[in-house]
Amino acid sequence: SHIAQPGGPHPVKTRESRHRRRPSSPALHRPAAMAPAKWLMHWHPNPGVTLNTQILSEACGCAESLGGTKDGRWKTSIIFYRPMTRDGAGGAQQNLPPDVPRELLGVALHERPGLYFSILRNQRLVLQADAAFSQVMEKLQSFKARVNLNFEGFQYQLGDFCLRIGKCVPNNTETLRGIMMEVEYYPLSSIEKSRAIMVDFFDIWQETLAKKSLPGRFIHVESNFAEYGLSDHYSFQHTAVQYATCLQQLMAAVRA
Amino acid sequence: MPLVCPDGAVVAYAWKRQLAGQAGASAVDRTRLALKAFTDQKRRFFPHLEDEVLNHLHDGESGIAKRPRMPAGNGELEEKTLSEILKNLENEVPNMKISTYRRLDWSKRASSLASLMDDDFVDPSKELNLQNMGKLRPGSVTTPIDQVAVIELLVPSIFRVVVSLHPAGSVDPDAVAFFSPTEGGSYLHARGLSVHHVFKHVTEHADKALQYFISVEPSKALSMLLRWIADYQTLFAKLCSKCRRLLLMDKSLALLLPPVHRPYHQISSIGSDHQEAYHIGCSSYDA
Repeated sequence: SHIAQPGGPHPVKTRESRHRRRPSSPALHRPAAMAPAKWLMHWHPNPGVTLNTQILSEACGCAESLGGTKDGRWKTSIIFYRPMTRDGAGGAQQNLPPDVPRELLGVALHERPGLYFSILRNQRLVLQADAAFSQVMEKLQSFKARVNLNFEGFQYQLGDFCLRIGKCVPNNTETLRGIMMEVEYYPLSSIEKSRAIMVDFFDIWQETLAKKSLPGRFIHVESNFAEYGLSDHYSFQHTAVQYATCLQQLMAAVRA
Repeated sequence: MPLVCPDGAVVAYAWKRQLAGQAGASAVDRTRLALKAFTDQKRRFFPHLEDEVLNHLHDGESGIAKRPRMPAGNGELEEKTLSEILKNLENEVPNMKISTYRRLDWSKRASSLASLMDDDFVDPSKELNLQNMGKLRPGSVTTPIDQVAVIELLVPSIFRVVVSLHPAGSVDPDAVAFFSPTEGGSYLHARGLSVHHVFKHVTEHADKALQYFISVEPSKALSMLLRWIADYQTLFAKLCSKCRRLLLMDKSLALLLPPVHRPYHQISSIGSDHQEAYHIGCSSYDA
């Protein structure tokens, strides 16, 4: 079935004779809207154990033992807003009309510096806005920033996975409030289709970390994306919602 | 060859000049003249190419080369034409979307995929539209079967595979490549390579499978290849038949990969449900 062409017989296509273009790592070529599937995990310390940065360095060591290469830092910020009441205190919550949300979360994700996500947890709303949002909020004075948290740390590339391991510290302090991990799987954007892969990765991660005998473990808490009107295709809104979910867990763990 | 007329005008197509003076020439006349001119040129410049398709056209039949269908001894469906193969595949694997393209049309689509994915302000609740917008050109509707040079197999959210046919309209595949459905750009073609490790390794394995199918049974190579590809819809779910795990760290590659190898020896051209899957390290094939 090979037909002779002018100039010679049909060239045999061996693996060596193919000239396949090899684009560089996905970290440089990531398309914007089709965000890869991501799981957020946070460190849950054993009861009575305080957090310390040693866990962070052990986790980074595990990433490297799995073949991860460190390729930069990351930082995501979350701001808690509380509504301002007429008396300016912003504290007398019970005087608020019922339709005013008690709390607004502003999320600035590391991967989208130009965007700002605001979340109303009780109303299950997530909104994508411009980074000027936080300045607008400040000027409007309808909501006041109460708590400002930074999640920051190092980023590792592990083949088709990207790991971000970081600490949660309130802005302008060094108090360690939590330890967080983001795991991204670049080839897939569907949450449902990537679930089995993520579960397996999580198991491998736990196995690797268990060798260090640390006082606690990472856990992944499922967010109910459907409640926020989000689809199966992963997006930055999904990440913002996962951070909001994680935060609840982190705050509970810190208070305990 | 351009024809130079007595008045010095250069006419690329001699037949057009002939018709210029015949205002009353019907569409059929023009077509017949054009076809004759092209056939003559083809015979003159490409004598080694078969005239089979055009002969059928002359006979008034459709453009598809038809041969009698004979069931093989083992009861397998004999698929001889491209459209038969694609139609049967569509019925067998309903969740895999099959589209066909001319070579240039595919290049355009590949580049348009890049800009579709790149839109910064796509509302994620409408991202399903991205999948649909990408298929605004249903190639199988507008591409005549004898000009199909690229077959695209898309299993939404799992993979996009590009198969190249040579020559166009034949049932002879000459290249295959796997990509993530989120990828787009000019590197998306049958000889390109995905940016993702998992799809790179599946593509390498697919190269070998294709060479095997061609060497064993060239007339069935395409149908075997397409069915073998369809089995990869379980790429991110099916456990390895040897170690019973999904994700495994490949020690030599230092990569976490699902089972990217599926056997290509001794499979029938009818798709089977119990295809096995192996990690690279668990596979009995040598690299």
